[in-house]
Amino acid sequence: MTANEAAAAAAPVDDHELVRRAQHGETEACEELARRHRRSVFVLALQLTGSQDDALDISQDALLRFFSKLNRFDSTRPVRPWLFTIVRNRARDIWRRRKTRRAKPLISDGEEGFSYDIVDPTADPHQDLESTELRHRLWRALGVLSESKREILVLRDYHDLSYVEMADVLGIPTGTVMSRLHGARKALRDAYLEQQGGQGG
Amino acid sequence: MAETCSRSFDESLLSGYLDDALTQGDAQRVRIHLEDCSSCHTLVVDMKRIRKATMTTPFTSPADEQWDERPQGTGSRSAFTLGWLVLIIWGVGVIGFALGHAWAGPQTWIERLILFGGGSGIALVFLSVLIDRLKNRKTDRYREVEK
Repeated sequence: MTANEAAAAAAPVDDHELVRRAQHGETEACEELARRHRRSVFVLALQLTGSQDDALDISQDALLRFFSKLNRFDSTRPVRPWLFTIVRNRARDIWRRRKTRRAKPLISDGEEGFSYDIVDPTADPHQDLESTELRHRLWRALGVLSESKREILVLRDYHDLSYVEMADVLGIPTGTVMSRLHGARKALRDAYLEQQGGQGG
Repeated sequence: MAETCSRSFDESLLSGYLDDALTQGDAQRVRIHLEDCSSCHTLVVDMKRIRKATMTTPFTSPADEQWDERPQGTGSRSAFTLGWLVLIIWGVGVIGFALGHAWAGPQTWIERLILFGGGSGIALVFLSVLIDRLKNRKTDRYREVEK
């Protein structure tokens, strides 16, 4: 094996290639696809529902649906938006079932079922504490927004989807994405400032 | 610097600016506007700060073993569906048999009325739920999105 061949073999395979291999029945490709996407799928479900149990159910279901329809999936399409569409629809089913237009707060101290990582201490503990508090306040604020605002915010600002991908996941025209996103960002800022005011910050 | 934003400025451009999603011309318009408008300038600074905090928030996710404990393939899913199907058929059979037996048994008309009245009530409640579900399905704006 030449050095170039060895480097090519070690290089990470992209999603399109993995989908093609999985469609030809390669189990390792399926496993790699699941490993690669399950975390972001789970986190999105958690951000939308605010419940670990629901998030685990939704993410598992999304992956199962993906693999059960894999043969009909166009391997040139990106995988993540497709998975996110399933997650979003399942989260909406849950919201509907809860009969409330506001999901649970994402962060609630001591709330059963919610798990949140605290960042590792940095060289400047004061700065770290400040950013940790900011994040807690921020996700609390996000939790009180309507689902349509929450979903567009997390898709863009956490999962870094492009405007075209967001339009695809949300089922809206690309031209609408920017104005809807801006409305959501302003609402989040207001909710955040309200949280800050409420805590005397 | 103006304290309030002029009405002619499309504020949603600020989000496009933040995401680097504007044309060169629009980006330039926003830059010029920000030099002159303190309210939009503050909004952009706040949105940037909030966005950075959102992006850098670490979330926990299940450990590998937790994923492995859950049904992984379509086989278990099919078995689950089949299990429910068998259970439903069995339930319908048992109820049908019981009703037939009750109807044929030596009972008075009042007893039959109580038995079948209750049965019809449950069936109607179930039917109303089913109709509502089907109606919601028709008006669901997300029904076209593949699940």
